[in-house]
Amino acid sequence: MLDNVIQNITEIKSMPEVLKAVEGFKSDGYRYVTMICLKANEGHELIYIFEKDNKLKNLRYFVKPGEKPKSMSGIYLCALLIENEYQDLFGLTFEGLAIDYKGHLYLTPNSPKTPLA
Amino acid sequence: MTTVIPFGPQHPVLPEPVSLKLEIDNDVVVGVLPSLGYVHRGLEKFIDTKDFNQTMYICERICGICSGIHGITYSRAVEKLFDIEVPERAQYLRVINSELCRIHSHLLWLGLFADGFGFESLFYECWKYREDVLDVLERFTGNRVIHSMSKVGGASRDLTKEQIDQILKTLDDLEPKVKNIEKVFVNNYTVKKRLVGLGVMSKQLAYEAGTAGPTLRGSGNAIDVRNTSDYDIYKDLGFKTAVAKEGDCYGRTKVRIDEIYEAIKLIRNAISKLPEGEIATRVKGFPTGEAIIRAEQPRGEVVYYVKGNGTKNLERLKVRTPTFANIPSLLLMLPGVKLADVPIVVLTIDPCISCTER
Repeated sequence: MLDNVIQNITEIKSMPEVLKAVEGFKSDGYRYVTMICLKANEGHELIYIFEKDNKLKNLRYFVKPGEKPKSMSGIYLCALLIENEYQDLFGLTFEGLAIDYKGHLYLTPNSPKTPLA
Repeated sequence: MTTVIPFGPQHPVLPEPVSLKLEIDNDVVVGVLPSLGYVHRGLEKFIDTKDFNQTMYICERICGICSGIHGITYSRAVEKLFDIEVPERAQYLRVINSELCRIHSHLLWLGLFADGFGFESLFYECWKYREDVLDVLERFTGNRVIHSMSKVGGASRDLTKEQIDQILKTLDDLEPKVKNIEKVFVNNYTVKKRLVGLGVMSKQLAYEAGTAGPTLRGSGNAIDVRNTSDYDIYKDLGFKTAVAKEGDCYGRTKVRIDEIYEAIKLIRNAISKLPEGEIATRVKGFPTGEAIIRAEQPRGEVVYYVKGNGTKNLERLKVRTPTFANIPSLLLMLPGVKLADVPIVVLTIDPCISCTER
Protein backbone atom coordinates (compact mmCIF):
# COMPACT_ATOMS: atom_id res chain seq x y z
CA MET A 1 0.00 0.00 0.00
CA LEU A 2 1.46 3.35 -0.96
CA ASP A 3 1.19 6.01 1.67
CA ASN A 4 -0.14 9.51 1.44
CA VAL A 5 2.11 11.93 3.28
CA ILE A 6 -0.71 13.68 5.08
CA GLN A 7 -2.06 10.48 6.58
CA ASN A 8 1.22 8.89 7.60
CA ILE A 9 3.54 11.56 8.84
CA THR A 10 5.13 12.09 12.21
CA GLU A 11 6.00 15.65 13.07
CA ILE A 12 9.16 16.06 15.15
CA LYS A 13 10.01 19.22 17.08
CA SER A 14 13.79 19.11 17.57
CA MET A 15 16.82 18.02 15.56
CA PRO A 16 18.16 15.59 18.22
CA GLU A 17 14.76 13.85 18.13
CA VAL A 18 14.99 13.63 14.32
CA LEU A 19 18.44 12.04 14.58
CA LYS A 20 17.17 9.57 17.16
CA ALA A 21 14.15 8.69 15.01
CA VAL A 22 16.32 8.20 11.90
CA GLU A 23 18.72 5.97 13.85
CA GLY A 24 15.68 4.02 14.97
CA PHE A 25 14.57 3.56 11.35
CA LYS A 26 18.05 2.32 10.45
CA SER A 27 18.12 -0.23 13.26
CA ASP A 28 14.57 -1.33 12.36
CA GLY A 29 15.73 -2.11 8.82
CA TYR A 30 14.20 0.80 6.92
CA ARG A 31 15.66 1.95 3.61
CA TYR A 32 16.32 5.67 3.12
CA VAL A 33 14.22 6.79 0.14
CA THR A 34 14.68 10.55 -0.01
CA MET A 35 14.00 13.87 1.65
CA ILE A 36 11.63 16.60 0.47
CA CYS A 37 12.34 20.26 1.16
CA LEU A 38 9.73 23.01 1.01
CA LYS A 39 9.61 26.65 1.92
CA ALA A 40 7.61 27.17 5.13
CA ASN A 41 6.95 30.64 6.52
CA GLU A 42 10.42 32.11 6.99
CA GLY A 43 12.12 28.73 7.32
CA HIS A 44 11.95 25.35 5.61
CA GLU A 45 10.09 22.12 6.02
CA LEU A 46 11.90 18.80 5.64
CA ILE A 47 10.07 15.53 5.02
CA TYR A 48 12.22 12.41 5.44
CA ILE A 49 10.91 9.31 3.66
CA PHE A 50 11.81 5.72 4.58
CA GLU A 51 10.60 2.40 3.20
CA LYS A 52 10.32 -1.14 4.48
CA ASP A 53 8.26 -3.99 3.01
CA ASN A 54 6.83 -1.52 0.46
CA LYS A 55 5.41 0.71 3.21
CA LEU A 56 6.52 4.31 3.54
CA LYS A 57 7.12 6.14 6.79
CA ASN A 58 7.66 9.86 6.90
CA LEU A 59 9.05 12.39 9.36
CA ARG A 60 8.38 16.09 9.14
CA TYR A 61 10.65 18.71 10.68
CA PHE A 62 10.49 22.51 10.45
CA VAL A 63 13.86 24.21 10.07
CA LYS A 64 13.85 27.61 11.72
CA PRO A 65 15.36 30.57 9.85
CA GLY A 66 19.14 30.44 10.21
CA GLU A 67 19.11 26.93 11.72
CA LYS A 68 21.60 24.39 10.36
CA PRO A 69 20.01 20.93 10.28
CA LYS A 70 22.17 17.87 10.95
CA SER A 71 23.16 15.69 8.03
CA MET A 72 21.82 12.13 7.98
CA SER A 73 24.75 10.96 5.84
CA GLY A 74 26.47 9.61 8.95
CA ILE A 75 23.54 7.22 9.42
CA TYR A 76 22.58 6.68 5.77
CA LEU A 77 25.49 7.51 3.43
CA CYS A 78 23.06 7.88 0.52
CA ALA A 79 21.54 10.98 2.17
CA LEU A 80 24.55 13.01 1.08
CA LEU A 81 23.35 13.74 -2.46
CA ILE A 82 19.90 15.04 -1.54
CA GLU A 83 21.31 17.14 1.29
CA ASN A 84 23.86 18.67 -1.07
CA GLU A 85 21.04 19.33 -3.57
CA TYR A 86 19.14 21.36 -0.97
CA GLN A 87 22.28 23.28 -0.07
CA ASP A 88 22.37 24.34 -3.74
CA LEU A 89 18.69 24.96 -4.35
CA PHE A 90 17.40 26.21 -0.99
CA GLY A 91 20.56 27.64 0.60
CA LEU A 92 20.38 25.29 3.60
CA THR A 93 23.53 24.19 5.41
CA PHE A 94 23.67 20.61 6.67
CA GLU A 95 26.13 19.99 9.48
CA GLY A 96 28.32 16.90 9.26
CA LEU A 97 27.84 16.04 5.57
CA ALA A 98 29.94 13.04 4.51
CA ILE A 99 30.89 14.87 1.27
CA ASP A 100 30.16 18.59 1.22
CA TYR A 101 30.01 20.23 -2.23
CA LYS A 102 29.44 23.59 -0.46
CA GLY A 103 26.54 24.70 -2.65
CA HIS A 104 28.11 23.53 -5.92
CA LEU A 105 26.68 20.07 -6.55
CA TYR A 106 24.81 21.42 -9.57
CA LEU A 107 25.43 25.13 -9.56
CA THR A 108 28.56 26.88 -10.79
CA PRO A 109 29.82 30.13 -9.23
CA ASN A 110 27.99 32.09 -11.96
CA SER A 111 24.64 30.27 -11.57
CA PRO A 112 21.59 31.85 -9.93
CA LYS A 113 21.86 31.54 -6.15
CA THR A 114 19.45 29.23 -4.26
CA PRO A 115 16.85 29.19 -7.10
CA LEU A 116 14.16 27.36 -5.10
CA ALA A 117 14.53 29.41 -1.89
CA MET B 1 51.27 6.86 -3.48
CA THR B 2 47.89 7.67 -5.00
CA THR B 3 46.99 9.60 -8.14
CA VAL B 4 43.67 11.31 -8.92
CA ILE B 5 42.37 10.54 -12.43
CA PRO B 6 39.23 12.20 -13.86
CA PHE B 7 36.68 9.78 -15.36
CA GLY B 8 34.30 11.80 -17.55
CA PRO B 9 32.38 14.02 -17.95
CA GLN B 10 33.07 13.03 -21.58
CA HIS B 11 33.91 9.35 -21.88
CA PRO B 12 33.27 6.78 -24.64
CA VAL B 13 31.00 4.66 -22.41
CA LEU B 14 29.00 7.57 -20.98
CA PRO B 15 25.95 8.60 -23.02
CA GLU B 16 25.53 11.58 -20.68
CA PRO B 17 28.03 13.71 -18.78
CA VAL B 18 28.98 12.73 -15.25
CA SER B 19 32.40 13.06 -13.72
CA LEU B 20 34.11 10.78 -11.22
CA LYS B 21 37.35 11.79 -9.59
CA LEU B 22 39.08 8.45 -9.09
CA GLU B 23 41.84 8.08 -6.54
CA ILE B 24 44.10 5.37 -7.94
CA ASP B 25 46.79 3.37 -6.22
CA ASN B 26 48.79 1.04 -8.47
CA ASP B 27 45.96 0.85 -11.07
CA VAL B 28 43.33 0.08 -8.42
CA VAL B 29 40.60 2.49 -7.29
CA VAL B 30 40.86 3.44 -3.64
CA GLY B 31 38.54 6.46 -3.56
CA VAL B 32 35.73 8.03 -5.62
CA LEU B 33 34.19 11.49 -5.72
CA PRO B 34 31.21 11.94 -8.08
CA SER B 35 30.70 15.34 -9.61
CA LEU B 36 27.39 16.43 -11.15
CA GLY B 37 25.90 19.59 -12.60
CA TYR B 38 26.57 19.32 -16.34
CA VAL B 39 22.90 18.99 -17.40
CA HIS B 40 20.97 20.54 -14.51
CA ARG B 41 17.94 22.27 -16.05
CA GLY B 42 15.98 23.41 -13.00
CA LEU B 43 12.76 21.66 -14.10
CA GLU B 44 11.34 21.68 -10.55
CA LYS B 45 11.54 25.48 -10.67
CA PHE B 46 10.35 25.69 -14.27
CA ILE B 47 6.94 24.26 -13.37
CA ASP B 48 6.18 27.52 -11.51
CA THR B 49 5.24 28.87 -14.93
CA LYS B 50 3.11 25.88 -16.00
CA ASP B 51 -0.31 24.69 -14.85
CA PHE B 52 -0.73 21.20 -13.43
CA ASN B 53 -1.79 19.74 -16.78
CA GLN B 54 1.16 21.26 -18.66
CA THR B 55 3.52 20.01 -15.93
CA MET B 56 2.91 16.44 -17.16
CA TYR B 57 4.70 17.34 -20.40
CA ILE B 58 7.60 18.84 -18.43
CA CYS B 59 7.90 15.66 -16.34
CA GLU B 60 8.04 13.56 -19.51
CA ARG B 61 11.04 15.59 -20.58
CA ILE B 62 13.01 14.79 -17.44
CA CYS B 63 14.29 11.76 -19.33
CA GLY B 64 14.19 10.61 -22.94
CA ILE B 65 14.17 6.89 -22.11
CA CYS B 66 11.72 6.50 -19.22
CA SER B 67 9.66 9.53 -20.27
CA GLY B 68 6.43 7.54 -20.45
CA ILE B 69 6.69 6.37 -16.84
CA HIS B 70 7.58 9.88 -15.67
CA GLY B 71 4.36 11.17 -17.23
CA ILE B 72 2.29 8.34 -15.81
CA THR B 73 3.73 8.72 -12.30
CA TYR B 74 3.16 12.47 -12.28
CA SER B 75 -0.43 11.90 -13.42
CA ARG B 76 -0.98 9.35 -10.64
CA ALA B 77 0.39 11.78 -8.04
CA VAL B 78 -1.95 14.59 -9.10
CA GLU B 79 -4.87 12.15 -9.34
CA LYS B 80 -4.16 11.32 -5.70
CA LEU B 81 -4.54 15.02 -4.84
CA PHE B 82 -7.91 15.07 -6.62
CA ASP B 83 -8.79 11.70 -5.07
CA ILE B 84 -10.11 10.41 -8.38
CA GLU B 85 -10.30 6.86 -9.69
CA VAL B 86 -8.85 6.36 -13.16
CA PRO B 87 -10.89 4.14 -15.55
CA GLU B 88 -9.66 0.55 -15.56
CA ARG B 89 -8.88 0.57 -19.28
CA ALA B 90 -6.57 3.57 -18.75
CA GLN B 91 -4.69 1.66 -16.05
CA TYR B 92 -4.13 -1.23 -18.47
CA LEU B 93 -2.98 1.17 -21.19
CA ARG B 94 -0.52 2.71 -18.72
CA VAL B 95 0.90 -0.71 -17.87
CA ILE B 96 1.31 -1.59 -21.56
CA ASN B 97 3.08 1.73 -22.21
CA SER B 98 5.29 1.38 -19.11
CA GLU B 99 6.39 -2.15 -19.96
CA LEU B 100 7.15 -1.29 -23.59
CA CYS B 101 9.32 1.52 -22.18
CA ARG B 102 11.04 -0.97 -19.88
CA ILE B 103 11.82 -3.33 -22.77
CA HIS B 104 13.30 -0.63 -25.00
CA SER B 105 15.25 0.87 -22.08
CA HIS B 106 16.78 -2.48 -21.11
CA LEU B 107 17.65 -3.27 -24.74
CA LEU B 108 19.26 0.14 -25.01
CA TRP B 109 21.26 -0.54 -21.84
CA LEU B 110 22.29 -4.04 -22.96
CA GLY B 111 23.59 -2.52 -26.20
CA LEU B 112 25.51 0.23 -24.41
CA PHE B 113 26.87 -2.33 -21.98
CA ALA B 114 28.06 -4.61 -24.80
CA ASP B 115 29.69 -1.59 -26.41
CA GLY B 116 31.30 -0.79 -23.04
CA PHE B 117 33.12 -4.11 -22.93
CA GLY B 118 33.98 -4.01 -26.61
CA PHE B 119 31.42 -6.41 -28.13
CA GLU B 120 30.31 -4.25 -31.06
CA SER B 121 28.19 -6.83 -32.92
CA LEU B 122 26.21 -7.55 -29.75
CA PHE B 123 25.64 -3.81 -29.35
CA TYR B 124 24.21 -3.64 -32.88
CA GLU B 125 21.94 -6.64 -32.27
CA CYS B 126 20.47 -5.16 -29.06
CA TRP B 127 19.77 -1.81 -30.66
CA LYS B 128 18.32 -3.45 -33.78
CA TYR B 129 15.78 -5.29 -31.62
CA ARG B 130 15.05 -2.09 -29.70
CA GLU B 131 14.03 -0.40 -32.93
CA ASP B 132 11.11 -2.86 -33.29
CA VAL B 133 9.80 -1.77 -29.89
CA LEU B 134 10.23 1.90 -30.74
CA ASP B 135 8.29 1.33 -33.97
CA VAL B 136 5.41 -0.12 -31.99
CA LEU B 137 5.50 2.78 -29.53
CA GLU B 138 5.49 5.21 -32.43
CA ARG B 139 2.39 3.57 -33.89
CA PHE B 140 0.75 3.45 -30.44
CA THR B 141 1.57 6.97 -29.23
CA GLY B 142 2.80 8.94 -32.25
CA ASN B 143 6.36 9.31 -30.97
CA ARG B 144 9.41 7.12 -30.43
CA VAL B 145 10.45 8.32 -26.98
CA ILE B 146 8.25 11.19 -25.72
CA HIS B 147 4.87 9.48 -25.72
CA SER B 148 2.41 11.83 -23.93
CA MET B 149 0.19 8.80 -23.54
CA SER B 150 -0.88 9.69 -20.02
CA LYS B 151 -2.76 12.71 -18.70
CA VAL B 152 -4.21 13.65 -15.34
CA GLY B 153 -7.37 11.55 -15.18
CA GLY B 154 -6.35 8.67 -17.42
CA ALA B 155 -4.89 8.07 -20.86
CA SER B 156 -4.83 10.44 -23.81
CA ARG B 157 -4.79 7.71 -26.46
CA ASP B 158 -6.54 4.38 -26.87
CA LEU B 159 -5.34 1.25 -28.63
CA THR B 160 -7.06 0.00 -31.75
CA LYS B 161 -7.43 -3.67 -32.62
CA GLU B 162 -4.74 -3.29 -35.32
CA GLN B 163 -2.32 -1.69 -32.86
CA ILE B 164 -2.89 -4.46 -30.34
CA ASP B 165 -2.18 -7.09 -33.02
CA GLN B 166 0.97 -5.20 -33.98
CA ILE B 167 2.19 -5.15 -30.36
CA LEU B 168 1.54 -8.88 -29.93
CA LYS B 169 3.30 -9.73 -33.20
CA THR B 170 6.31 -7.61 -32.23
CA LEU B 171 6.53 -9.35 -28.85
CA ASP B 172 6.27 -12.78 -30.51
CA ASP B 173 9.14 -11.86 -32.81
CA LEU B 174 11.17 -10.23 -30.04
CA GLU B 175 11.14 -13.03 -27.48
CA PRO B 176 13.34 -15.50 -29.43
CA LYS B 177 15.70 -12.68 -30.34
CA VAL B 178 16.14 -11.82 -26.64
CA LYS B 179 16.83 -15.50 -25.97
CA ASN B 180 19.65 -15.32 -28.51
CA ILE B 181 21.35 -12.32 -26.93
CA GLU B 182 20.72 -13.75 -23.46
CA LYS B 183 22.89 -16.73 -24.38
CA VAL B 184 25.78 -14.37 -25.07
CA PHE B 185 25.37 -12.16 -22.02
CA VAL B 186 24.85 -15.07 -19.62
CA ASN B 187 26.96 -17.90 -21.05
CA ASN B 188 29.72 -16.43 -23.20
CA TYR B 189 33.12 -17.15 -21.65
CA THR B 190 34.68 -13.78 -22.48
CA VAL B 191 31.66 -11.79 -21.30
CA LYS B 192 31.52 -13.73 -18.03
CA LYS B 193 35.23 -13.14 -17.46
CA ARG B 194 34.53 -9.39 -17.61
CA LEU B 195 31.44 -9.39 -15.39
CA VAL B 196 31.53 -12.14 -12.76
CA GLY B 197 32.82 -10.99 -9.39
CA LEU B 198 33.19 -7.38 -10.53
CA GLY B 199 31.68 -4.43 -8.60
CA VAL B 200 30.26 -6.65 -5.89
CA MET B 201 27.71 -5.27 -3.46
CA SER B 202 26.26 -7.55 -0.80
CA LYS B 203 22.51 -7.83 -0.25
CA GLN B 204 22.74 -5.88 3.01
CA LEU B 205 25.03 -3.19 1.60
CA ALA B 206 22.81 -2.59 -1.45
CA TYR B 207 19.79 -2.24 0.83
CA GLU B 208 21.46 0.09 3.30
CA ALA B 209 22.92 2.20 0.49
CA GLY B 210 19.37 3.04 -0.61
CA THR B 211 19.89 1.65 -4.12
CA ALA B 212 16.98 1.04 -6.45
CA GLY B 213 15.88 -1.15 -9.34
CA PRO B 214 18.16 -3.76 -10.94
CA THR B 215 21.08 -2.43 -8.84
CA LEU B 216 19.14 -3.40 -5.70
CA ARG B 217 17.62 -6.60 -7.08
CA GLY B 218 20.95 -7.71 -8.60
CA SER B 219 22.17 -8.05 -5.01
CA GLY B 220 19.36 -10.39 -3.99
CA ASN B 221 16.78 -7.88 -2.69
CA ALA B 222 13.34 -8.74 -4.08
CA ILE B 223 12.08 -5.15 -3.87
CA ASP B 224 9.98 -3.81 -6.71
CA VAL B 225 7.39 -1.04 -6.45
CA ARG B 226 5.18 -2.97 -8.89
CA ASN B 227 4.44 -5.32 -6.00
CA THR B 228 2.57 -2.60 -4.09
CA SER B 229 -1.17 -3.03 -4.00
CA ASP B 230 -2.30 0.27 -5.51
CA TYR B 231 0.09 0.52 -8.46
CA ASP B 232 -2.40 0.46 -11.33
CA ILE B 233 -3.40 -3.14 -12.06
CA TYR B 234 -0.01 -4.87 -11.74
CA LYS B 235 -1.30 -7.04 -8.89
CA ASP B 236 -3.84 -8.63 -11.28
CA LEU B 237 -1.29 -9.51 -13.95
CA GLY B 238 0.81 -12.19 -12.28
CA PHE B 239 3.95 -10.14 -11.91
CA LYS B 240 7.13 -11.88 -10.71
CA THR B 241 10.12 -9.93 -9.37
CA ALA B 242 13.42 -10.62 -11.15
CA VAL B 243 16.25 -11.11 -8.66
CA ALA B 244 19.86 -12.27 -8.87
CA LYS B 245 21.88 -13.19 -5.83
CA GLU B 246 25.38 -12.54 -7.23
CA GLY B 247 25.51 -8.80 -6.41
CA ASP B 248 28.04 -8.17 -9.19
CA CYS B 249 27.92 -6.80 -12.75
CA TYR B 250 26.82 -10.22 -13.99
CA GLY B 251 23.90 -10.33 -11.54
CA ARG B 252 22.67 -6.85 -12.50
CA THR B 253 22.80 -7.87 -16.18
CA LYS B 254 20.78 -11.04 -15.57
CA VAL B 255 18.10 -9.06 -13.71
CA ARG B 256 17.60 -6.73 -16.68
CA ILE B 257 17.35 -9.62 -19.14
CA ASP B 258 14.82 -11.39 -16.90
CA GLU B 259 12.85 -8.16 -16.66
CA ILE B 260 12.49 -8.06 -20.45
CA TYR B 261 10.78 -11.47 -20.38
CA GLU B 262 8.65 -10.37 -17.43
CA ALA B 263 7.64 -7.18 -19.27
CA ILE B 264 6.66 -9.22 -22.36
CA LYS B 265 4.52 -11.45 -20.14
CA LEU B 266 2.92 -8.44 -18.43
CA ILE B 267 1.99 -6.82 -21.75
CA ARG B 268 0.46 -10.04 -23.07
CA ASN B 269 -1.53 -10.47 -19.85
CA ALA B 270 -2.64 -6.83 -19.91
CA ILE B 271 -3.80 -7.13 -23.52
CA SER B 272 -5.64 -10.38 -22.84
CA LYS B 273 -7.53 -8.72 -19.95
CA LEU B 274 -7.89 -5.24 -21.48
CA PRO B 275 -11.42 -4.12 -20.52
CA GLU B 276 -13.70 -2.02 -22.71
CA GLY B 277 -14.74 1.44 -21.57
CA GLU B 278 -13.64 5.00 -21.04
CA ILE B 279 -9.95 5.91 -21.01
CA ALA B 280 -10.13 9.07 -18.89
CA THR B 281 -12.05 10.69 -16.06
CA ARG B 282 -12.87 14.37 -16.31
CA VAL B 283 -10.88 16.43 -13.80
CA LYS B 284 -12.48 19.57 -12.39
CA GLY B 285 -10.95 22.27 -10.20
CA PHE B 286 -7.40 22.73 -8.97
CA PRO B 287 -5.30 20.38 -6.82
CA THR B 288 -4.88 20.82 -3.07
CA GLY B 289 -2.94 18.89 -0.44
CA GLU B 290 0.19 16.79 -0.79
CA ALA B 291 0.92 13.27 -1.96
CA ILE B 292 3.74 10.87 -2.63
CA ILE B 293 3.64 8.31 -5.39
CA ARG B 294 6.30 5.78 -6.34
CA ALA B 295 6.71 3.85 -9.56
CA GLU B 296 9.15 1.30 -10.95
CA GLN B 297 11.10 2.73 -13.86
CA PRO B 298 13.57 0.63 -15.86
CA ARG B 299 16.38 1.96 -13.64
CA GLY B 300 14.40 1.53 -10.43
CA GLU B 301 12.10 3.30 -8.05
CA VAL B 302 11.10 6.88 -8.86
CA VAL B 303 9.42 9.02 -6.19
CA TYR B 304 7.11 11.92 -6.99
CA TYR B 305 6.04 14.41 -4.35
CA VAL B 306 3.41 16.99 -5.30
CA LYS B 307 1.84 19.77 -3.27
CA GLY B 308 -1.11 21.79 -4.51
CA ASN B 309 -2.50 24.98 -3.01
CA GLY B 310 -5.83 25.28 -4.81
CA THR B 311 -4.42 27.24 -7.76
CA LYS B 312 -3.70 25.99 -11.28
CA ASN B 313 0.04 25.77 -10.47
CA LEU B 314 1.55 23.23 -8.10
CA GLU B 315 3.27 24.73 -5.08
CA ARG B 316 5.99 22.09 -5.15
CA LEU B 317 7.05 19.19 -7.34
CA LYS B 318 9.91 17.00 -6.23
CA VAL B 319 11.21 14.04 -8.23
CA ARG B 320 13.71 11.55 -6.81
CA THR B 321 14.92 9.47 -9.72
CA PRO B 322 16.50 6.00 -9.53
CA THR B 323 19.96 7.05 -10.70
CA PHE B 324 19.99 9.68 -7.93
CA ALA B 325 19.55 6.77 -5.51
CA ASN B 326 22.15 4.61 -7.24
CA ILE B 327 25.04 7.07 -7.62
CA PRO B 328 26.09 6.81 -3.93
CA SER B 329 26.47 3.05 -4.42
CA LEU B 330 29.44 3.77 -6.72
CA LEU B 331 31.30 4.96 -3.60
CA LEU B 332 30.90 1.41 -2.30
CA MET B 333 31.33 -0.60 -5.52
CA LEU B 334 34.33 1.07 -7.12
CA PRO B 335 37.02 0.86 -4.40
CA GLY B 336 39.12 -2.23 -5.14
CA VAL B 337 38.19 -2.24 -8.85
CA LYS B 338 40.92 -1.91 -11.52
CA LEU B 339 40.86 1.31 -13.53
CA ALA B 340 40.11 -0.63 -16.75
CA ASP B 341 36.96 -2.09 -15.17
CA VAL B 342 35.53 1.22 -13.92
CA PRO B 343 33.43 1.84 -17.09
CA ILE B 344 31.79 -1.60 -16.74
CA VAL B 345 30.87 -1.05 -13.08
CA VAL B 346 29.57 2.47 -13.71
CA LEU B 347 27.41 1.23 -16.60
CA THR B 348 25.77 -1.46 -14.45
CA ILE B 349 23.83 1.16 -12.48
CA ASP B 350 22.47 2.30 -15.89
CA PRO B 351 23.25 5.94 -15.12
CA CYS B 352 20.74 8.48 -16.40
CA ILE B 353 22.13 11.90 -15.67
CA SER B 354 19.27 13.93 -17.17
CA CYS B 355 16.99 12.16 -14.67
CA THR B 356 19.41 12.67 -11.81
CA GLU B 357 19.85 16.39 -12.29
CA ARG B 358 16.47 17.28 -13.75
